[in-house]
Amino acid sequence: METLFERYRNLVVLLAMLLLQIVGLAMQVHRGDTGHMSLDPHDSKGVRLIRLWANAAVSPPERVFHSVGESSSWLWQNYFDLRHVREQNKDLQTTVDRLRLEQAALLEDARQGERLQGLLNFQEKYIYKTQAAQIIGTSGSDQSRLFYIDKGSESKLERDMAVITADGIVGKVREVYPRSAQVLVINDQSSGAGVILETTRIRGILRGNAIGQPQIVGLMADSRIQAGERVLTAGGDEIFPRGLPVGTVDKVVKDPDQDGFIRVLVKPAAHLDRLDEVLVITSVEPRFPSDQTKDMATSETLKGAEAAEEKAQKKASEIMAERLPGLIDPNLPPEQQPLNDTSNPNPVVHPPQPLHPDRFTPGSDTNTGVGVTSGDAAGSTTPDANAPKKPATPPSKPQNPPGTAPAKPDKDTTPRRNP
Amino acid sequence: MSVLTADSRRDLEIHRYPVLIYVLIPLVALVLQAWLPRLLGQYAWFDLPLVVTVYFALGRRSPIQGTLMGCAVGLFEDALTHHAIGINGIAKTVAGFMAASVGIRIDVENRIIRVGLIFLLSLLSSALRIFVNRFLLGLALETNWAAELYIALGNSVIALMAFPFLDRFQLRD
Repeated sequence: METLFERYRNLVVLLAMLLLQIVGLAMQVHRGDTGHMSLDPHDSKGVRLIRLWANAAVSPPERVFHSVGESSSWLWQNYFDLRHVREQNKDLQTTVDRLRLEQAALLEDARQGERLQGLLNFQEKYIYKTQAAQIIGTSGSDQSRLFYIDKGSESKLERDMAVITADGIVGKVREVYPRSAQVLVINDQSSGAGVILETTRIRGILRGNAIGQPQIVGLMADSRIQAGERVLTAGGDEIFPRGLPVGTVDKVVKDPDQDGFIRVLVKPAAHLDRLDEVLVITSVEPRFPSDQTKDMATSETLKGAEAAEEKAQKKASEIMAERLPGLIDPNLPPEQQPLNDTSNPNPVVHPPQPLHPDRFTPGSDTNTGVGVTSGDAAGSTTPDANAPKKPATPPSKPQNPPGTAPAKPDKDTTPRRNP
Repeated sequence: MSVLTADSRRDLEIHRYPVLIYVLIPLVALVLQAWLPRLLGQYAWFDLPLVVTVYFALGRRSPIQGTLMGCAVGLFEDALTHHAIGINGIAKTVAGFMAASVGIRIDVENRIIRVGLIFLLSLLSSALRIFVNRFLLGLALETNWAAELYIALGNSVIALMAFPFLDRFQLRD
């Protein structure tokens, strides 16, 4: 008698396989803080192992295909096409056509050289350390916009390193294998990069849409955002250094999922679907070119020279201070020098002596009120108002400093004393 | 379309291949699927692993073998993406099963039937993939239906050319 399993074994096997895979899927997703389901950005050990095996199986044939493709192209350009030309054009024409083909090949080489030179120049001038890599394959699915490069952990590549070209950003390293790496392109729906609009300074998150065009999502409607505005990396995602070109605003559309929000479609600066070589930023430590390093060294030298000059000036001022009269008394010991005397916090400062002292001069006798009377007496002594003004006291000699002999009084102005 | 009984078709027209072919052809399809989009860019409207899965499922006419091959190829394809492993696996498992089940019941030697079948199975595979993404995993991924349609058409065209080529690897008595 046929058992139930035997009768429905096709269906049982199908359901078993589906169940296994559904359980496997359930183990790979988790609910995020916002309540939305999302894939774990870091694969578990088992999943990573499966990806590693798949990559190990596919990468070598891909490399072979890549090499064969290039060799075939080379062979076609340099042999078959050349022979074909020889058959068609004999004698002199052969030479001309061969030269033309060589010229075309050289032109192609020159173009390739120019492209590589441009990349190399960018790499040399770029402030961060980069690693050039060639693209060898893709995921093969438009739901998963990523590609594989021919450099891996042996070239010191790590996860989450930024991948760029001279035109703009490309993506980030998602998985690293010994001799290859998986790069998630910015136009994938699960990618994310912090960007900023150059003019309006509006920040947002860049990710791809279903047709593979990058878009900035989660923005409030803003009439200032116009097509053609440049989009740069904001630098807040800790993957892309700030200020790298991302692209330009293509158009602004309403977000179908959220009222009042818009999506800014971005035309990427890098040709994401025609990439051959890319640069991986392996270190974000600033790396200055040789001429800038020289400039910095010169600046340091100049700074040292300025310090030396300042020191020399200080020394000269000290020498000058030592030589100034009045500040240094050669008869006093060093500790009692006026400069060094700190015993009196408020030293007596003598005012300068006037050249032409009068009765208002401090210390003058005419200023003490002795020779001045008030009232009528004063009027008798006061000269006529119309009379030409004369100084009340003639210029006298300067007062002697205290402790010295008093000056001889003037006969006309000093009141006489009875003997 | 001639409808035959399951036993008569299974006994008469089971295609057999060298063991190496079962490994090499899917592997080549996977490698080409990963490599060709580099050359064709956004116009890579095909799913070679699905074409191969359907071909072997139709040829072998064994739902179990179709299921297992679809599962293996789909999981391998998933491993090359950054998505969860199992999305393509489920889609191609069902596609392989369906292809083999249909292969038992109808005459699939006819080219038009082959092309129509691969077209429908491509759409089914796309629908299953989207179903798994949206409803099983709850991922908010957008879908480009036009691209899915182009892929189904591309698969049909490729199947038209590839199936006669692959038939050459059959073991003849």
